[in-house]
Amino acid sequence: MDEALISLEKVTKVYGGGTRALNEVTLSFEKDEWTTIMGPSGSGKTTLLNIIACLDLPTSGIVRIDGKEVTGVGQAALTRLRRENVGLIFQQYHLVPYLTALENVMLAQYYHGSLDETKAADALKNVGLEHRLDHPPAHLSGGEQQRVCIARALVNEPAILLADEPTGNLDQTNGNLVLQLIRRLHEEGRAIVLVTHNPDIAGFGARTIRMVDGSVEQDSKIRSGVDGSVERFTNPIRLVDGRVEQDSKIRRRQKW
Amino acid sequence: MGVASVLIGAAVVTALLTVSLGVGDQVGQEFTKYGADLMLQPQSNTIQIGLPGVSIGSVTEQRYINESDLWMIRTIEHRANVLGFAPFLYQVVTVGDGPNAQQAVLAGTYFNKTIQIPQPASSQDPSEFSTGIADISSWWKVTGNWITNQNDTTSAMVGSNVAQKLNLTVGDSFKVSYAGTQNSTTATMQNGTTATMQNGTTATNVKELKVAGIVESGGAEDNQIFVNLPVAQDLSSRPGKVDTVQVSALCVRCPVADMASEIQGKIPGVQGTTITQLTNAEMSTLDKYQSMMALVTAVALLASTMGIFTTMTANVTERWREIGLMKSIGAENRSIASLFLAEAALTGLIGGIGGFGVGIVLAQFIGLRVFSTTIPLRWEVLAVAIPIAIGVSLLASALPVRRATAVEPAIVLRGE
Repeated sequence: MDEALISLEKVTKVYGGGTRALNEVTLSFEKDEWTTIMGPSGSGKTTLLNIIACLDLPTSGIVRIDGKEVTGVGQAALTRLRRENVGLIFQQYHLVPYLTALENVMLAQYYHGSLDETKAADALKNVGLEHRLDHPPAHLSGGEQQRVCIARALVNEPAILLADEPTGNLDQTNGNLVLQLIRRLHEEGRAIVLVTHNPDIAGFGARTIRMVDGSVEQDSKIRSGVDGSVERFTNPIRLVDGRVEQDSKIRRRQKW
Repeated sequence: MGVASVLIGAAVVTALLTVSLGVGDQVGQEFTKYGADLMLQPQSNTIQIGLPGVSIGSVTEQRYINESDLWMIRTIEHRANVLGFAPFLYQVVTVGDGPNAQQAVLAGTYFNKTIQIPQPASSQDPSEFSTGIADISSWWKVTGNWITNQNDTTSAMVGSNVAQKLNLTVGDSFKVSYAGTQNSTTATMQNGTTATMQNGTTATNVKELKVAGIVESGGAEDNQIFVNLPVAQDLSSRPGKVDTVQVSALCVRCPVADMASEIQGKIPGVQGTTITQLTNAEMSTLDKYQSMMALVTAVALLASTMGIFTTMTANVTERWREIGLMKSIGAENRSIASLFLAEAALTGLIGGIGGFGVGIVLAQFIGLRVFSTTIPLRWEVLAVAIPIAIGVSLLASALPVRRATAVEPAIVLRGE
């Protein structure tokens, strides 16, 4: 089996107040996979994304990126892993208001230690914003701001793009534009992990993980058949002797 | 707001330093402005006579200081603090002839004289000393010129009141005559010394003088005519004699009393009097003023610190999300800290430069109001004010910066 890009092994996250946000979650993400994480508020999906993005460390369990263990490396090393491996796309775009579109993209290069204006401009061109390089975020529409955010996430060529409700603040037209863009990036070979409430968006990805109360409730994959039919494989999670297990025997086959 | 906070602190620091440095220099000059620091007179030249409790008058036995002893003033222990001195020999002269004749006080003095020091107190000391009234009375307003040549026997500097009375302007010539026996007037000098004319001289000496400059001092000098000392000595036939010597000290807290007794010990028959009361009053003004300014500075710097602390804290809070974002895209704590510290340093620099400008103006205001003098611009104050401004900014930013580095990158995903 190919080495998973990111793997989580019995990852638990308990916040200061005693809130158990993740409960012994075991998951792995492959290099060319598009995974959608769904679930109600408070189900732990944002915490899961934080840990995949190396924004936070688990309370217990092991996280590996490219087979290397992340857990226990310390904040500074975590920061390095994050900027080397992860591109982040936010619901609120999080652009720096006093920098232009180009400078916002270059900010990621700056912290990555690889300033290159041409490359930053190319990243913006890649998302269709070559005419907006010198505009500050306030002069851009929501869709354009989200595309700047995507360009910034792309510019250091991360292996995985993490998107948190990327279309949450956008109208349908702009939302579709952004999803098309993400699909293209996926087709170029990037792993995508996308968190959303929207079941329509979940349809873009081959794999959907459903979180409930800090655990993975359902993990299903769609495979395109040779005849054009689409199959969905669902791997329900169940507790065996108090441990969460993914049971491949209960794989159901259904027509999509 | 941050810049304004630093500006106020830097302005007060600048004002304090500029005034302290400037006034420190200036006060030395201020003192000489009020007259000499020390007055040398011949010892006990007046003896009271009469029955016990009933004063009949005084018998004055005229005594003099020998001009040839004056060099010893520069051999006392505190000689380095002797800014200069000028001897005076006073006499009442008649100016002009006939019905227009007027009486005036003629003072022989040094304007700018180089005296020899035959026995310097130390081998490193120079054997010459240049001194005179131009050094100790530099505040005189002179229309025309100072007398600069110590051998000039025909020029005079005339007090403004005398010039007015005699209708003299610069370049005019006038005659003075001194007749010892005809004139028994006792002239009261500016220092209160009484100089009684020598009796027994019957000859009338006449001298023609030319007005080199007209002196306006606002004091006794306005009623006197100044000539080179030898001219006065010749006119009254008192060669080598001096009535009084005014000594100026150059320092802020001069040990004038020590200097007086040192001079008394060096030159026999001389009594030194200090102008202490005036000196002390000026000193205590400066001292009080400096302690007050130090207090104001401390308060202002504290206020600056609090102002910057508040501004930086607000800045960090406002940019909470931006900090989280920077960290989420790979900024290390070091980068975040540098960003905010650089902003603080820039605030300090701008505030410091602005505060320096404001402080200079403030210093002038204080100088004029408190010390009645303008205060020179001191660039070295900039070298103190700017680092203080930057230092205060950085110090006040320490805690806000710690808060900034503590921001968790995960906030960017919480969708708040």
